Amino acid sequence: MNNEHDLLSALKSGNKEAFTLLFRKYYKDLVLFGGNILHDQVRCEDIVQNIFLKLWADRENIIIEKSLKSFLLRSVQNSCLDELRHKQVIRDHEQFTQTFDYFDSLDTENYILYSDLEDKLDAAMNKLPDTYREAFRMNRFDGLKYKEIAEQLKVSERTVEVRVSKALGMLRVYLKDFFIAVIAWLVS
Amino acid sequence: MKTNDEIDILISKLLSGNLSSSDKIKLDEWLNISSENRKYFNQMQNLWHLSHPAFNPKSIDVEKATEKVTGKINEQNRVKLPLLVWWQKIAAILIIPLIAFTGYLLNRETELAANEVYQEVFSPFGVRSKINLPDGSMVWLNSGSHLKYPVVFKNGSRNVVLTGEAYFEVQSDKKNPFIVDTEKMSVKATGTAFNVEAYATDTIVAVTLVHGKVDVNIDGRKNINLMPNQRISFNNESSRYELTDTDPYKWCAWKDGILAFRDDRLDYVFKKIGLMYNVDIAVTNKEIASQLYRATFQGESLEEILRLLKLSAPIRYVHTPRVRSANGDFSKEKIEVFKN
Repeated sequence: MNNEHDLLSALKSGNKEAFTLLFRKYYKDLVLFGGNILHDQVRCEDIVQNIFLKLWADRENIIIEKSLKSFLLRSVQNSCLDELRHKQVIRDHEQFTQTFDYFDSLDTENYILYSDLEDKLDAAMNKLPDTYREAFRMNRFDGLKYKEIAEQLKVSERTVEVRVSKALGMLRVYLKDFFIAVIAWLVS
Repeated sequence: MKTNDEIDILISKLLSGNLSSSDKIKLDEWLNISSENRKYFNQMQNLWHLSHPAFNPKSIDVEKATEKVTGKINEQNRVKLPLLVWWQKIAAILIIPLIAFTGYLLNRETELAANEVYQEVFSPFGVRSKINLPDGSMVWLNSGSHLKYPVVFKNGSRNVVLTGEAYFEVQSDKKNPFIVDTEKMSVKATGTAFNVEAYATDTIVAVTLVHGKVDVNIDGRKNINLMPNQRISFNNESSRYELTDTDPYKWCAWKDGILAFRDDRLDYVFKKIGLMYNVDIAVTNKEIASQLYRATFQGESLEEILRLLKLSAPIRYVHTPRVRSANGDFSKEKIEVFKN
């Protein structure tokens, strides 16, 4: 009963085991996905749990057009964006609003989840040249602006721009085959 | 045609929150060229998300969450009584005022016998009330305040009891003074307009006189004749009082729904805003709290006021939404103000 289609049918007929399997499968990835929008782990976990509770309550009527993954990602995205709007935090995080403009076009169908890639990711990060990785991480872990990174590293802002973008571009190249493999697997 | 390097830079600037508005135009242009471009962008965004998890993936406890959610589902199946609970709540809502009203009627009878009937008005948090007193005087009762007054003023005195803040416009009657009693002060007036602040939770109680003349008695000890445009404030903790000349407008504007601040500390500004909109606003940073503000708000929404204040101060807000407690009550919305 591990095929997602079968799991969904089982869920619709009220099978709790199927529900639990789906929950375990997607929970962590969905919380992490929500974290891209709402930087509050407790709230993100609440949101994902509520989405699953709703999924259970509506199991008989729910219509999933594409994949369950796409359905869940969209639900998390909507709830997190809604919560942000509600909290009016968007105004406080101007830099995030920009990225939100592009969230609507997000391709949830082909979206790669964290657990799909986590094993490969660290290895790929370690392959990056030190200076690239450093700039990439300063932005990632310390939330520093390019300007601040440039000041700390005593290089120009342009250099930081180049290093971060190169790091991302290289990650894509390293993981490209894997990306394609995951997508091919998803489509099949 | 832009090179890939340039596009990569634009994309990573966007994702890291470093995109300028001219960059954005360039990026949008490029995205609109083809679906291939959008696909490339989506992959980069996806990769950025995965390489930048907002939380430590190890800190997400899947087992605990699974237990919580399955627990809730099992509970739902067992207790299928939401309708009953709902009706119980409605019944409670109906019964409580009924009891209160019966109490009031019973009270009324005993009090009528003693010839002393009181009316009590409470303005809930976030609400202002206007009361017409039996002698024609008018009272504006601020948010979270309570006023008790006799249904009939008997000859010789016009006594009311206040906790919280109220603005009085007292009908002139030299023979029968109008007395406002609060816990720490009493104000005696004949015909005049004044504002009284006496919230039980505040350390400062104060009276501000707009026109006329009032006698203020503090703590049963000190008697002060207040002149128009004067304000007397008394600090409960230090037991000191302070008499200052002031612009009464800012102290009384609340009665018309106006929030007027004239070089007031930011923590005071937020306290007054919180009172009017029924939210708890806390300013943690001392330096920010003591900054002085001059502003007038009327009819603005809370969000708008917060936004306007943010424009002129290096502050940011962290909102805590209302939480439902076990007994079904909702807590007040909390907003914390931090230095930006």
